Amino acid sequence: MQTMEETATGTEAETRRFRVFRFKRGDRTPHFDTFDVPIEPRTTVLDAMKWIQLHRDPSLSLRHSCYHASCGTCGVRVNGREVLMCVTAVHDLGREITVEPLANIPVLTDLVVDMEEFYERFPDEHPYVRRSEFNPEAAVPDGIATYVRYEDCIECGLCVSACPIVGTTDAYVGPAALAAAQRMLEEPRGADPARLIDWADDPDGAWRCHAAFECTEACPSNVNPAARIMELRGVLVGGRLAFPGRREEEAR
Amino acid sequence: MSRTTTTPGLPGMEERTQRGPVLRKGIGPTPTGWFDPRGRALGTWAFSVNRITGLGLVFYLYLHLAVLSLLLAGESSWNDFLELATTWVFLALDVLLLFGILFHGLNGVRVALVGTGIVPGRQQALFWAFTVIGTLTLAYGAIHILGSA
Amino acid sequence: MATGAAAHVLIIGGGGTGGALAHDLTLRGIKVTLVERGEITSGTTGRHHGLLHSGARYAVGDQESAIECIEENTILRRICPGSFEENDGLFVALTDEDMDYMELLLKGCAECGIPTQQLTPDEALRLEPLLNPEVKAAVRIPDGTMDAMRMPLRFFATAKHNGAQIHPYMEVKDLIVHDRVVSGAVVHDHVTGKEGEIHADIVVNATGPWSEKVAAMAGVDVPIRPSPGVLLALRGRLCNMVINRCHKSGDGDIVVPQRGLSVVGTSSWTVDDPDDLGLPEDHVQRMYEEGAKLIPAVKQAEFRAAWSAARPLIGSKEQADTGRELSRTFKTYDHKETDDLEGFVTITGGKGTTLRGMAELCANVICAKLDVQVECATRETVLLPHTAYYAA
Repeated sequence: MQTMEETATGTEAETRRFRVFRFKRGDRTPHFDTFDVPIEPRTTVLDAMKWIQLHRDPSLSLRHSCYHASCGTCGVRVNGREVLMCVTAVHDLGREITVEPLANIPVLTDLVVDMEEFYERFPDEHPYVRRSEFNPEAAVPDGIATYVRYEDCIECGLCVSACPIVGTTDAYVGPAALAAAQRMLEEPRGADPARLIDWADDPDGAWRCHAAFECTEACPSNVNPAARIMELRGVLVGGRLAFPGRREEEAR
Repeated sequence: MSRTTTTPGLPGMEERTQRGPVLRKGIGPTPTGWFDPRGRALGTWAFSVNRITGLGLVFYLYLHLAVLSLLLAGESSWNDFLELATTWVFLALDVLLLFGILFHGLNGVRVALVGTGIVPGRQQALFWAFTVIGTLTLAYGAIHILGSA
Repeated sequence: MATGAAAHVLIIGGGGTGGALAHDLTLRGIKVTLVERGEITSGTTGRHHGLLHSGARYAVGDQESAIECIEENTILRRICPGSFEENDGLFVALTDEDMDYMELLLKGCAECGIPTQQLTPDEALRLEPLLNPEVKAAVRIPDGTMDAMRMPLRFFATAKHNGAQIHPYMEVKDLIVHDRVVSGAVVHDHVTGKEGEIHADIVVNATGPWSEKVAAMAGVDVPIRPSPGVLLALRGRLCNMVINRCHKSGDGDIVVPQRGLSVVGTSSWTVDDPDDLGLPEDHVQRMYEEGAKLIPAVKQAEFRAAWSAARPLIGSKEQADTGRELSRTFKTYDHKETDDLEGFVTITGGKGTTLRGMAELCANVICAKLDVQVECATRETVLLPHTAYYAA
């Protein structure tokens, strides 16, 4: 693997061509700017964008924070596919790389989307700490009831961008929100299951999904939203089927 | 985020807080939205082909009714139709129809099993299993349909 | 300069420090505008390994920092409920030298008020089955994991809902200085491409490792050395508790679990430009080697990411080579006192865990300057959830 020292002493640096989406408020239409960026084996799309910001165009705006797929802020579309910039190695991509913001969420500027509408879709509260299922045989220290961990969902919006149904209507709550509701049914943590089921049981809720499974494909964090939506629908269907049975019981 | 805080006196605050353009999926300058399965995964291909075959089958249904109404016009017009119906082209279209029925039907079963939460996590496995069943059935059917020519 | 209720404070820097300060000042009734050139926490704050410090790491060599940490650790758990993986942590001894250090660690923690529990190797392995089986002893301390972006975001959410103006993607190009008074900043809005001015009674430099650059716009110097370190994220949660090596601060001596990931860190060197940190490959390899000493499964774990983050360490340029010798505590510089420049304050240094405490001290200084006699309320105010930041 190339080291920093090797590169500095004049080994041929590879360059890749990036077509980057640009849009500032007041522009009539967006456009693409092209940059040639030197890359190394470990260079990520985020590194490349930051290089452009530092060496070519300081007005290029992008979202990023944690650099390790934990904060979910650096979601974009690279060559049409939803990815997190910080864990997408440039090396594996083609000679010419197109970088655009996520779809289905309003663009603020350049590669930045305004996540307000993304969060609006969620049920009122969705806790993001859950029981940890890792190392299940481990003992727990005194004074701690159970090991906990953050949810896998990093609220990155890649699923919402990928979903073809969200692409047709802004009313659909979308995979992230439905998956969050299902996780609360799995482990309530103070949430009211009846209220969540009611929230999901809506034409623009769990029933709007048409099983394209793009959300699970796009998810960088093992959330599997599609399976969770189907589980949720199983609960909703089960509830409907159980009801006639209950009516008979009450009649007896 | 930016839509709700404004510092008076700063130029561009009004523009900053407006809802920005929403991009839709699709490769190329004109986004083609939900229908474009290019660059997407297996699930979306199945989703798109399900819709195409669905539309195809609806179209076929009306065609079939129109054809059946020929019976009302008497034996000779029906016999004319039967001559057309046994040509290679027509039989090939029959095979295409069989594909449409099999794909739409089997994929529909897959969507129903997954979509009601009966087998929520196994959509890809189901797709390939039904592909095998469908292909074998289509092959059998095609041999018989074309063989009858 | 306007004082009291009419005062306006401009905070430059949208990291944890800026957010906590915006929250503190807003609670005291002061009008606050905060500008950040990128996304909130996109500087150093978002990038660290997410350790909620117990302070044990500093209990031997930097007790001032250690005490700050354990105090803020307790407060944060109270004001940010549901924001931490509260599984505690272990200091693990693997060699005889480690065992010697353990004596010092226990003594230091006792002096700093950090609760400890000594564990036998068996007890440690029962808690963490993937630990190095050669572990000689372990000490349990109240470490935890924080989400490096979402926890600070709660401060921003609360400040915003209390009236603070938060503007990401707005970059300060220059400070407005006349007659030894800083009265505002020239900003470039990356959303619209337009430039404008924001006037304020006090401008706060809360830009972490960029503190020197911003201070230079006012013609003053602050002794901040950007000191980056490499971090390595691996797929798989190899431990539920934070695992520390029981020795003097060194490279790769901590593994922090975070959702389904394990983050190994860190290393230390110094640079001049906080925007160009580099990613030395030998440091990445060192993370694997040192991390594997704590948890052997590190070697086989799937790579997720490797990156650099710059600590803002206080100390003069001449002082340190690696940055480890510089103090990790924080400081507020009132430039009226240090440089005879009115209207400009720099708050810098510190750690992710001490953001609230840093803000309290800085807010006290600012309130004294503005003649605002309201007490700090941030120790007890429970913060809004991070999702509230995005709500209208």
